[in-house]
Amino acid sequence: MARTPLEKIRNIGITAHIDAGKTTTTERILYYTGKSHKLGEVHDGTTTTDYMDQERERGITITSAAVTAEWKGHRINIIDTPGHIDFNIEVNRSLRVLDGAIFIIEGVAGVQPQSETNWRLADRYNVPRIIYINKLDRTGSDFFRAAATLTEKLGINWVALQIPIGAEDTLKGVVDLVTMKALVWEGDELGAKFHEAEIPDDLKEKAAEYRQKLLDTALAVDDAAMEEYFDKGDVSVETLKRCIKKGTISGEFRPVVCGSSFKNKGVQPLLDAVIDYLPSPVDIEGIKVAPEEGQDEDSDRRVIEVSEDGPFAGLAFKIINDKYGNLTFVRVYRGVLRTGDQVLNTTKGHKERIGRMFQMHADKREEIKEVYAGDIAAFVGLKDTGTGDTLADPADPVVLERMAFPVPVIDISVEPKTKDAIEKMTIGLQKLAGEDPSLRLRTDQETGQTILSGMGELHLEIVIDRLKREYGVDANVGAPQVAYRETITRPHTEVYTHKKQTGGSGQFAEVKIIFEPLERNAGIIFENQVVGGAVPKEYIPAVEKGIRVQADTGVLAGFPTVDFKATLVDGKYHDVDSSALAFEIAAKACFREGMKKAGPVILEPIMDVEVTTPQDHVGDVVGDLNRRRGVIQSQDMAGTSVIVRAHVPLKEMFGYISNLRGMTKGRASFSMQFHHYDPVPRQIADEIMAKSA
Amino acid sequence: MPMRLRWVRGRTEGDGPDDPDRTREWVGCDDAGEAIVRVVCVSGPIRVGWRLRHAVARDEEARVVELRPPVDRERRWLIVVGGRVVGRAALPLQAVRGAEAALGGG
Ligand SMILES: Nc1nc2c(ncn2[C@@H]2O[C@H](COP(=O)(O)OP(=O)(O)OP(=O)(O)O)[C@@H](O)[C@H]2O)c(=O)[nH]1
Ligand SMILES: [Mg+2]
Repeated sequence: MARTPLEKIRNIGITAHIDAGKTTTTERILYYTGKSHKLGEVHDGTTTTDYMDQERERGITITSAAVTAEWKGHRINIIDTPGHIDFNIEVNRSLRVLDGAIFIIEGVAGVQPQSETNWRLADRYNVPRIIYINKLDRTGSDFFRAAATLTEKLGINWVALQIPIGAEDTLKGVVDLVTMKALVWEGDELGAKFHEAEIPDDLKEKAAEYRQKLLDTALAVDDAAMEEYFDKGDVSVETLKRCIKKGTISGEFRPVVCGSSFKNKGVQPLLDAVIDYLPSPVDIEGIKVAPEEGQDEDSDRRVIEVSEDGPFAGLAFKIINDKYGNLTFVRVYRGVLRTGDQVLNTTKGHKERIGRMFQMHADKREEIKEVYAGDIAAFVGLKDTGTGDTLADPADPVVLERMAFPVPVIDISVEPKTKDAIEKMTIGLQKLAGEDPSLRLRTDQETGQTILSGMGELHLEIVIDRLKREYGVDANVGAPQVAYRETITRPHTEVYTHKKQTGGSGQFAEVKIIFEPLERNAGIIFENQVVGGAVPKEYIPAVEKGIRVQADTGVLAGFPTVDFKATLVDGKYHDVDSSALAFEIAAKACFREGMKKAGPVILEPIMDVEVTTPQDHVGDVVGDLNRRRGVIQSQDMAGTSVIVRAHVPLKEMFGYISNLRGMTKGRASFSMQFHHYDPVPRQIADEIMAKSA
Repeated sequence: MPMRLRWVRGRTEGDGPDDPDRTREWVGCDDAGEAIVRVVCVSGPIRVGWRLRHAVARDEEARVVELRPPVDRERRWLIVVGGRVVGRAALPLQAVRGAEAALGGG
């Protein structure tokens, strides 16, 4: 395939609230860019990017597929992302490696809770955005009202590049405020042609008003453009486009376009906007390297600029196991990579050989021999490279900035329906967890049960479903439980001696370990401070393993123990009777004994809950949240509704939706996401322990 | 009728070392080339020595002056005629239109 120069590449994501039309829009884009000839419809279950079976049945997007499309001499790599909060990890990791995004909002509801969350995520990664107001064919849709919610809910400075012609079922097209031409579609059907026309008389005034707003906003970012305007009383289309691109990339303002993807109106101009206004890989600052140990997030760090020259550097951002095997999606930041090259996984410190590489067109793929900076490709058969790992040329072994992953807060126990499927199930779950950093797998040391932790009930349900379809394992699952954690509150030093005489050879190991609390989210740190060989070097990894395995089953109620440090300071061994196994056993027992004396507590996930309710129910909603141990953070008016934000323990939120509906006659809605872990009150800790005993 | 003026760049200023200079002031001149109005962007809050200045702008002699009360952040562009603020706007082109309208009308 002919190589696309960097300036002509766009790596973009499509993100929005659930059901805003991301998948439909992506499908239209693929159709109009000529890659997908037969158009899929979400409700028919035939779309190209929603390629997993469950997606087709449920009509929602679960994983994001990276697809490549060509438009007017440009290559657009598109990642369609899911809207449901349970799959937030997908949005998160996509935004991280993309250079720009189409942000869709609905013409009826405008900005919705999840749009807000995703907007803030995009803010965090500084992703330039074009806003697309979709579904303008729907009854009750209103471009101007939907756009107004951008100001009300997101507080952003937006500027319209188009206004619609007609509305609802009479939607005909859009006025392009950059060229001051009407774009009119000749039908609703797929592939309907459109032509340029004069702006209809009844829209002339409105168009002039919005064009002036566009000039006021866009030209302010460019002095030369201001001068051109003062000289001529207007600016060229070229100048205006330059200004819009500049402001879009800097984030000074957010351009708004519109249409109805379903009725095939507005998609081609949306594509034009992508290539005109969203940045190419060279238009933006490169990627920062990860902070070094001890360095904090905000410190000045080296930036790797996107360029084909220089040693290779890329970031693995997604892993898929499908019928072809293991696919690792990599965004290349610097250099060129060819089949057969060897690179370093600098995050984990081992080498990887590059086998086959592909460019993905939804679930079809095209083999490529080389991949250049700025592009995205899928690699087959990498040994051990996870989401967020850096691959780099050993000549400059940089580690790129890591991704932040959400914390899984819901647990379920799983067991295969037939005993002999246990191994198959474990392999399947391990693969699924390898694809998805928001999914965790552990074995309860006491009960031997397999416990899966995920983002929500829907997330886990889909995992179980995939286990069945892709790995042929039918599993029984327990009721969803809050993913409690355990930790300790004070330091304690414990000595444990493991001694056993069984027939011939015995077992002997002694360890002395200091357990200390760490701050929240620090995880588990193990340190070896043994001097003089009191514990031989070859047994140290066994001690660490013992601690980490046992930590999965806390001493209070069997929940994973987190945020502590274990320092091995001393020990004893026996020339004949000591072994790695003996040291692992000693470490496990030392953990069990020691943690009990280190002030153990149970932690529970506290959620950031947002309820949007009509004014007359605010009292009920707030009172109810208080009864759920909620702490109200704010109450804000938004139109005729009130938005109540509160921190509430997840435990108290089970079944909340039906309660809220009843209380407000179905007029309120809510969303929630994980905020932090806090120790549970005494009484609840007792309940939890009684249950686990 | 608004009065049409010729607008030229006044002072430029960057926000920091990485930020290229941007025009913070446009000067409106009459047919004779005489400067008769300025539109000026207010910056701030900024730290000057140990004090926090909420809103500052440059006067005709390029001295930094602190404005009291501070202008609202939504309307950072001041229309200044003869050292007096006669209007404010969010964007420079709006300020320019405001200036032309003010001069034409009064
Ligand atoms: N009337 C109308 N319906 C639309 C439009 N675009 C999408 N839809 C419908 O809205 C529903 C959701 O569309 P999707 O494209 O699946 O939405 P999504 O944003 O990908 O949803 P998730 O991936 O689940 O977050 C489908 O039934 C679409 O047919 C539109 O422009 N007009
Ligand atoms: Mg979708």
